[in-house]
Parts: sequence; structure tokens; C-alpha cells
Amino acid sequence: MNSLLLPDLFILLQGFTVLGIDLFSRKREPVVTFQLTWSGLLFNFILLLCLPYDRTVVFFGTYQVSGLALLFKQIFVISAFFTVLLSRYYFTEKGNFRGPMRAMGEFYGIVLFCTFGMFTVVSATGLLTLFIGMELATIPLYVLSAFRKGDDLSAEASTKFIVMGALSTGILLFGYSFIYGAVGSLRFVNILAFATQYPLHPLLFLGLLFIFAAIGFKLTLFPFHMWAPDVYEGAPTPVTAFISVSSKATAIAFLIVLLYGPLAPLHPRLQYLILLLAGATMTVGNLGALKQKNLCRFMAYSSIAQAGYILLALAGQAEMGRASIIYYLLIYAAANYATFFIISIVSQKRTEEFASLRGLGKQSPTLAAILLLSMFSLAGIPPLAGFIGKFMLFASAAQEGYYFMVIFAALNSTVSLYYYLLLIKEAYILQPTAGPMVFEVSFVQQSSLAILTVFMILLGLVPMISTKILLIVQ
Amino acid sequence: MADLFLSYSYLVLLWPFLAFLIIGLWLGRYNRRAAGLLSVLFSGLSMVCGIGITYGYYRRVLARPHLFPDKTLLVNQFDWLNISPDLTVRMGIYLDPISVMMIVVITVIGFLVQIYSLGYMEGDEGFGRFFALLSFFAFSMLGLVVATNIFQMYVFWELVGVSSYVLISFWYHKPAAVTAGKKAFIITRFADAFFLLGIIMVGYFIGNFDFQDLNAPETAAILNKMFMVKGIGVNLLALSCLLIFAGGWGKSAMFPLHIWLPDAMEGPTPVSAIIHSATMVVAGVFLTARMFPLFAASALTLTIVQLVGAFTTLFAAVIALTQHDIKRILAYSTLSQLGYMMFSLGASQVVDNPTTAGINPLGYSASMFHIFTHAFYKCLLFLGAGAIIHTIHTNDIGRMGGLRKAMPKTYWSMLAACLAISGIFPFAGFWSKDEILLGAWQSGHYLTFGVGLLSSGITALYMFRLFFMVFHGQTTFGRQLKTEDPLMSFSIVILAIPTVVAGYFSKEIFSAYFSSPMVWAADKQLLPGHPLWLPVCANLLAVTGIIIAWYLYGRGDLSHVRLLTRRRGIGYQLVVNKLYIDELYLFVTHKIIFSYIAAPIKWFDRHIVDGAVNMVGRFLHICGTGIRLAQNGQLTVYLGATAIGIILLYVLGRLPI
Repeated sequence: MNSLLLPDLFILLQGFTVLGIDLFSRKREPVVTFQLTWSGLLFNFILLLCLPYDRTVVFFGTYQVSGLALLFKQIFVISAFFTVLLSRYYFTEKGNFRGPMRAMGEFYGIVLFCTFGMFTVVSATGLLTLFIGMELATIPLYVLSAFRKGDDLSAEASTKFIVMGALSTGILLFGYSFIYGAVGSLRFVNILAFATQYPLHPLLFLGLLFIFAAIGFKLTLFPFHMWAPDVYEGAPTPVTAFISVSSKATAIAFLIVLLYGPLAPLHPRLQYLILLLAGATMTVGNLGALKQKNLCRFMAYSSIAQAGYILLALAGQAEMGRASIIYYLLIYAAANYATFFIISIVSQKRTEEFASLRGLGKQSPTLAAILLLSMFSLAGIPPLAGFIGKFMLFASAAQEGYYFMVIFAALNSTVSLYYYLLLIKEAYILQPTAGPMVFEVSFVQQSSLAILTVFMILLGLVPMISTKILLIVQ
Repeated sequence: MADLFLSYSYLVLLWPFLAFLIIGLWLGRYNRRAAGLLSVLFSGLSMVCGIGITYGYYRRVLARPHLFPDKTLLVNQFDWLNISPDLTVRMGIYLDPISVMMIVVITVIGFLVQIYSLGYMEGDEGFGRFFALLSFFAFSMLGLVVATNIFQMYVFWELVGVSSYVLISFWYHKPAAVTAGKKAFIITRFADAFFLLGIIMVGYFIGNFDFQDLNAPETAAILNKMFMVKGIGVNLLALSCLLIFAGGWGKSAMFPLHIWLPDAMEGPTPVSAIIHSATMVVAGVFLTARMFPLFAASALTLTIVQLVGAFTTLFAAVIALTQHDIKRILAYSTLSQLGYMMFSLGASQVVDNPTTAGINPLGYSASMFHIFTHAFYKCLLFLGAGAIIHTIHTNDIGRMGGLRKAMPKTYWSMLAACLAISGIFPFAGFWSKDEILLGAWQSGHYLTFGVGLLSSGITALYMFRLFFMVFHGQTTFGRQLKTEDPLMSFSIVILAIPTVVAGYFSKEIFSAYFSSPMVWAADKQLLPGHPLWLPVCANLLAVTGIIIAWYLYGRGDLSHVRLLTRRRGIGYQLVVNKLYIDELYLFVTHKIIFSYIAAPIKWFDRHIVDGAVNMVGRFLHICGTGIRLAQNGQLTVYLGATAIGIILLYVLGRLPI
């Protein structure tokens, strides 16, 4: 069953090809790299759909492909695909108020390699592979967030990102050392055997706490979230979108692999901590979002709050937890990318402030309606996808009997409705202060928005997809 | 071929839904003509699918009774929402005699009404919107009748409610239409709240929503227990049945929730036609029939169904006698006919044998038969009324007269429909009404039987009052009227065919196949046979009604009527004003609820609830500002927070929770 490895090999090959073309092409900005990247990712997605999901195969003793891994790979590929489509316009002259970005080929190459790193995270069979995957997925993000060379904000964002990231990597390795010290091996099989035998071993738990803190950085959990608003604001907007979806998905995948895998015997002891972190994170994210005026900072806080909801499901049992998280990530990705597409369209001539949205409802009712749908989906209003997604996440925690936490999360999502509606208010109700907006919606943007909108509505009306996911991850 | 239709049976729903999407999202704004034609085409395709399903169902199920003892076939079923591992809501298509019959009725009438609307809505600025909504209405109703479980039914039930709301208030610039739409929506929603409560209750105790399980005898046995609420014993079975029936009570506009239906005629006439015949109002009767095996286990429920139905029958017939608005008369006649269907279901309970819950199968099949025949002639009556209104631009029958010459096609078709609704032999209505009366008589409900018989006489009287006042007498229109619209007359004339023959040709089908969704517990208590005096008596009464109508209204001389109404002063006023039911509702809602309940609540809400909410809001904003301040952009602060976070995690992880 070597075909199971095809997506990983293909994305590597694709990355090298894109970089190679960029290197040897005579043109400054070879558009063919864009065509190759998006079509390759689309092909990869179709390939992923065709593979069998009921098998688990280990390659070379270290690289494992299972149904769960394939589902996560689908999310990574979709996310990379939309990032690529989103970024296309930023490489043109009229693309953004901050001016055009350069080095298109490199950008796409890095996105592809970063996605390969994410693939590695979900395919790990040992702590070492897991670590390498995580670094492969994170280091390219530092480069991407500094991609506006010469832009102060971008440089500042990247610096903060690197310093915080380096610290978290250090903490991660520190946590590893405890586990290695206790078990004497980095392989999941050995760790699981050890943890089953001595679930109360102090070193194991200590190691897990450090790992949790380190991943808290990637997942923007409170109090490790503080880099997020600055980086989201400073980084180029497509990179922000990529970080908010792919990086978050990688981090939660990391936790899923670890907590439902080798360290599963420690899961019951960690449940309260997870709930506490989830509650604190969603509260801080929601409260922080209340007062924002910048769209990207706003999205940063919104995604911090969403991370809180996602983490909540991790307190549940393995099947329900996995299934609800994967389903929610799909929904979250759709709504987030739709919002970022609209931000990118609005900010062609204007800054990324709330006030830039004014007059959108009159001037382009379709865009405003899509914004409305995305906001409602993020806030979890039925019958949109976000409602079913949140329902599943909360159900996962409720199954374990944490009703108070579910009520708390529901109250939190009521608060979130307030600030999501603020955006709607800007788009529909407030009168524009400046003249009419000037923007163009390219064919790529139109079709991406159409796909995302259909996705948002369809996942809400056809929730049985989640049942299929549940069957796969069991 | 037969199996092909069955395996693609979801197409019957898909066509109207596609029409809704295409016209609603795109075509309706660009090309009205094409939108109308596409809608008609798609509803025609839906009708073809519906007839195909009937054929397939006959071949697969009815022709092989040994394989399908309960005559039920589930196709295209899939899991829709997984609420918890052991409670899944499914969607699918449930085929049994009544749902197949409803598919045929809805698609055929939907198709004819769409053709009619091409003529009727010509030149209206909401042309595209109208066809989109009409298609959506058909889609919702089809989804309702094929529901495999009560949850799916509820989803489509609400969709029917919403689409009727937007269609009744279609001319939203008319205040009366908006009010009528609101009234219909609020009253049916009010009833639906009880329905939902019933669904939740049954779902909680049974752990399943599928009709097949709900209707199983075990379900009734599980539910049949008493529990105490503040010292009053309540039977769980009766309570849940009545809660579910409440949904049908509102939707089928049974007394006293009937007040929305006469007002609903503010919508365009094709909408009234489809609401009154194939969709919406029969949903309540359909629900009662669908849940019949469960309802039948509770004697109290059936008694209430019967009483409500019988009372509505007589009550609405009496009111219809005095109305002047042509569509309002027809609306009350619908109420009266719905009453027949409802009491027929309730009267299946055999009187002599209440302990063993004896059930007379005739009541059930007669009720379904009446839905079938009534759909055609009621649709015809409304379409005819629409054609008349379209020609002379008034609803008041007092200002009509002598239209016989100007509208011959409408005249003859309406005559057939009036004869059918009056139950004159051998028109369609005769056969079904005869079975309903026979059923009630056999089961021993003599009072209900009498009410039904009397109402059939009154029906003939008010229908022919309408007929004579519209078509006979002196013509009040001096100028030349425009000729009948060919598209509109087409539907009217086509509908005249089933109006005449549907009863005679399908009575065998109904008595053969519509008898048992459950094992009937009836024994020999039933009065045997079909006495000849019954139809003769009913027909005599109806003919008497027609003769009285001719005497009073037929000759264009209304002096007798004036004399009569003057002499019956108070009683007449009471009936003309519909027993002041609407005023009573207004009094209760405005005077009592608004000023004594709503006003104090409003004060409480304004000052205490809002105050608390504002406090919370202000507090949250202060917290938000705090978080924004902490986020000061200094990297050292972020690193420090991380370090403190790790220490916190360690401390919390050590806590012995």
C-alpha cells in the first residue's frame, strides 16, 4: 500500500519543482509557479480523497499513515490551497495598500514545504518525528511573516514570532527530556507501554506539562497567546490566514496525536487543566476582540477564542474529540478564509481598519452577504456550518459530564456574537466617511469566495459528513 | 422501470427545489417569462416523478402484499444529524398509501396551479419571486408527506409554515396581506410549540423518532402510564398524543385556531388554491393519519379529535352562509370539509367497545379518500373564484351576478365543483362524504353522524348561494367583459374531470389499500352493510339545500333574504360576525395580555433585566480594555507571561483535583 505515501511525496516534489522553476526562470516573477502550486494542491486533495481511509501503514518504521492522518492532510492541503489563491493578488501592483509583495516563487515553495512539515506531524510514530515535523511546519512561518521585506511592521512581527517560537521550541525539548528520562525511548510504542504501567510517574506528567505549554504557543492558548495579535497584524495578510488555520490545525493535531496516543493514560489527569485553559483562552480571546479596530488584530483575537472552543473538545473521549475537532477545523477554515478574502479585497486601496468596511453593503451586496455568513458561521448561528461544528465540540465535552464548562462556553460564544455583529454593523449600517470604495474582484477571488460560501452552508445543512469522520477516526 | 422511479424518488422533491434556487437566486430577476416557464416545466417533471413513484410503488409493494404486510417502503434513507451515538435523525422517503396519494395530489395540483398562475400573475412585478416561492412551497409540503420520522416532518412542517407566510403576505405593500400572513404564522407557530414539545417528549421516552417505531404497539405500551402533577394524574400517552395533535390542530385550522385561514385569502388566489387543497391545511389531517396507530391507543385523543372536527364542520358551515366575500366563503367551506376529515379519523373509535379500543377501518380510509377528492374540487373552486376576480376585480358576491354568459367554461366547471362539494351523486364529493358518514354511523357516533348529515345540507345551501349570486340573476356589468384567459381556463377545465369522476373510479382503490397502517382490533360490534337510506337521505338534504338556495338567491330577487335576515336580527348578526371569535382574540391579546401581563413584564425587562445586561456589557468592555492594555507590544512582557504561564500550569497540574 505504497500509494498512501503519494500525497507526501507529491507535495515534496511539487515544492522542489516550484523552487527550481523560480531559480532558473528568466522572468522576475514567474506566474507559472502560481499555476503549478494551486493545481498541484488541488490534485493532491483529489488524491487524498481517493485513498483508503481504513488502513494504518507504517513506512520505514517512523512514518505512519492512518485515516486520521489523511483527514488532517486534507485540512492542510485545503488551507494551503486557499492561501495560495489568496496571496496571488498581493503580488500585483494594485493588490494591496501596502504595495506589492515580491518573490512569488519562493513564497509558494515555502508554503508547500511548510505543509509537508504539517504532514509529518500527523504521521509521526515517535517524539523525534513529531518534533522534526513541528519545526518543519513552524520555521517557514517565520520566513513567511517577514515576507514584506523592508516593511517595519512585518519585520517586527517576524522578530517577535522568532523569539517566542524559539522559546517554545526550547520548552518543548525540555519537556521531551523528562519523558525520555523516564521512558528511555522516544518511540510511541514504548512510551505508551510505560505510561500504561506507571500512569502516575511524576516525570511523565512534568514532561507533558512542558509540552503542553510549548504547544500552547502554537495554538495561542492563554497565557501563551500574546504574540498572536502583533504577528497577525504585521505579517502579510495571506500569511496571517495561513497561520490562523494551518498552524492552529497542526498544533491541535500534535496534541491529538500525543494525548490520544502514547500519553492517553495521562489524559484523565489532564482534563481539568484542558478545561481551565480552554475557558481562560476563549474568555481572553473574546474580551480582547471587543475593543479592536484593526481587522487582522480582530481576527487574531477571534481565532484565539476559537482555539479555546477547539481545546474544549480535547477534554472528551478519543473518537468524539477527534471527529468534532476535525469537523470544526474544516468549518473554521472555510469561514476564516472567506473573511480573509473579503479583508484582502477591501484593503486593496484602504487600510485594514473596521471603518474600511463601511458602505460594503450598498456597494457590493454579495460580498457583504458573504461577510455576514462567515461572521454568523464563526459565531455559531444555525443553520450555518459553525453551529453544527460548535455543537459537536461542546457535545464532546458534555459527554464527559462537564456541563458547567459547556454553559460557560455557550455564554462565551454569546459574547463573541457581539463583536462579530460589530463587523456586520460596519458593513451594513454605518455611513461611509470617505468616498465610494475602489476595488476589483478578480476571477480567482470570485470563485474562491463562491466555493467557501457553498462550503459554509453545505456543512451546516449536511451534518452527516461528521458521522463519516467519526467512523474514520474510530 | 418501476424500480428506477423508486430509487430516484428524491427527484420529486429535487425539481421544485431546483426551480426555487434557479429562479430565486438568478433567473427571476433577469427574465420573468423564462422563470415562469422553467417553474412550470420543473413542476411538470416533479409530477412525472410523482406518478412514476406511484407506479413503482404499486408494482413493488401493492402487487406483492405478502412481502410488504404493512405496505410501507423506505427509500433513499440516510443519516442526517447524529445527536448522540444512540440517537440519530435520519432523512428519507417513506412510501405508504397515504404518502403516495399525497405526492400525487401535491404534484398534480401544484402543476395545474403553476400553469394557472402564468395567466393570473401576468404583469405582476413579483412574478419571478412568486414562482420561486410557489416551487418552494411544493418542495416543503412534499418533504413533509414523505418524512420517515417525526423530526424530519417537523423540519418540513416549519418550512411549510414559513413559505405560507411569505406567500400569504406576497403583496407586502398591502397592510391587510401583511397582517394576514403574520396572523397565519403566529397562530400556526403557537400550535407548533406544543407539537415540538410532544416530539421532544416522545423522543425522550422512546429514544427514537421513526414513524415505524412510534406507531408500534410497544410504544403505546411504554407511554401508557400515569404520573402525578401536583396531585392530578396525567396519562403520558394521552398527553403526548394531544401535544402532537396540537400541531395539526393549528395547521389544519380547527376551531378555535381557525381564525387565520379565512384571512389567508389575502394572498394571491393561486396561493389560496394550493393552501386550501393540497398543501398546508391538509398537513394537520395528514399528521393525525400518520400518527393514527399511536393516537388510536388513546381513547381520549380520538374523542377530542372527533369533537373538534365535528364542531368545526358545523360551525364553519353556518358562518359560510352569511359571508359576502367569495374567497372567504370558500375558506369557511374548507374549514368545514377539514372538519369532516378530522372527525372521520376520530370517529373510527367504536363506541360500544371503548375498553378494547375497537377501531373501524372505514373512518381512516374515508378520511384519506376525502382529502383526495376534496383537493381537486376545492382547487377548482378557488381557481374559478380567481378567474372571476381577475375578470371583474371584486371579491364581493353581492356585486356579481349574471356571469354565466361571460365565463362559460368557469361556469360549467364551477357547477361541477359545487355539486361535488355538496355531495350530489355521482360527483366526487358524494363518494367520500358518504363513506365518512357511514363510518361514523357504523362506529355508533350518532351525534357526530347527525352533525355531518346536517352540515352536508348546509354546505349545499351556501355553495349554491354563492353559485347563483355569481352566475345567475341580472348582470350588473354593462360593458363588455374581457374573455377568459386560456391558461387559467385550461387548469380549471382539467380539474373538472377529477371533480366529476375521481370519486367513482378511486373508491375501490381506497377501500382496498387504505385500510390498515395497524392491526385493527375491531370485532363484530360494527353495524354491517351499507344501508341505502343513508346516501339517499344525504342527497335529499343536499337537494333541499340547493332548492332553498334557488328560491332565495337564484332568481336575482333578494327580497326574501332581506326579510329573513331582518327577522333573525341578533342571531344573524352573531353569525355574520363569525361569533365574534376574532374580536375575542383581539380582546384577550390586546386588553388582557398586553396591558396586564406584557406591560409589567416590559417594565421589569426595561429596568431590571436590561439594567443587569448593560452592567454585564460594561464590565466586559472594561475587561476588554484591560486586555488591550496588557498587550503593549513589548516582547519582554510576552516572554514573562509565558514563563508565568508555565509556572501556573505546573502549580495547577499539581493540585489534587
